[in-house]
Amino acid sequence: MNDVLSVDLIYVFAYCLGGLAFAGGPFIVVLLLEARRTRNYAHKTEQFIECGMDPIGDAWIRYSAVYYLYALVFVAFAVDVLYLIPVALVYNRIEEFVIRDFVEMLIFVGILSLVIVYAWKKGVFEWKRRKIIPKP
Amino acid sequence: MEAQEDNSQALKECEPYVRFAKLDELLALGRANSLWPLTFGIACCAIEMMAAGASRFDLARFGAEVFRPSPRQADLMIIAGTVNKKLAVAIKTLYDQMPEPKWVIAMGNCAISGGPFVFPGQYAVVEGVDKLFPVDVYIPGCPPRPEALIEGLLKLEEKLTGKRRWPIVKAE
Repeated sequence: MNDVLSVDLIYVFAYCLGGLAFAGGPFIVVLLLEARRTRNYAHKTEQFIECGMDPIGDAWIRYSAVYYLYALVFVAFAVDVLYLIPVALVYNRIEEFVIRDFVEMLIFVGILSLVIVYAWKKGVFEWKRRKIIPKP
Repeated sequence: MEAQEDNSQALKECEPYVRFAKLDELLALGRANSLWPLTFGIACCAIEMMAAGASRFDLARFGAEVFRPSPRQADLMIIAGTVNKKLAVAIKTLYDQMPEPKWVIAMGNCAISGGPFVFPGQYAVVEGVDKLFPVDVYIPGCPPRPEALIEGLLKLEEKLTGKRRWPIVKAE
């Protein structure tokens, strides 16, 4: 290994060490400088809620997945817009291809609209809580 | 007296591993001039506390205007009002959630001793918040004027730094 290469390697190593120190150092410094504990009279220091009242129930609850279906349908629209922006930018630049471009865009949007048709057919747009009946 | 010893013992246990000898005074000066009180008004004293925070009395002159909505960001608890036994649990929880170093000001007669609510057979009011946790400064009054609260803050600063930074105002 030649000298330049090994010096470069040392640089890389030094930078890695520096990065580790930069990431882990504050934790150690804080550990040394922070108050070791805080005075406690109700043993509630670890309670997440900060308004003094005991929380009612747990935050880890199950809720309906209906919204996620909406989110997925939104992705279809978002992709639509995303891919149409560059097309819109160059659309009218070469006039002889305007018709062809238009047809291609129609095909593209048409295929993507099938997502909505599909979702419609599946009843995503009906805001209903679905009952999942476990199979016996 | 025993409770005081307990508190100083607890304070010792809270101390950080590394301290800075003389530089700690500088830290104390910083803390004294930027006390962050917890937003916690309970009764009529809280009105005076709000007045003290607003433009006329302007607590900001003394660096204590940043009323924090979360106990985890606050280092000063101003008990401004009557503490009922039902509320005592919540206050203790908030006190627990404040990080060290932390101080408590008992503002007004209710917070000091129960004030007008002390009578034989009363069952609802905590007769002095020092029954719940250690208090650093007591501000008498029913309710105390904003000037009194400012004076209490100056007293607390004196406790932190060992020096009074403002001349004592004499009544004319």
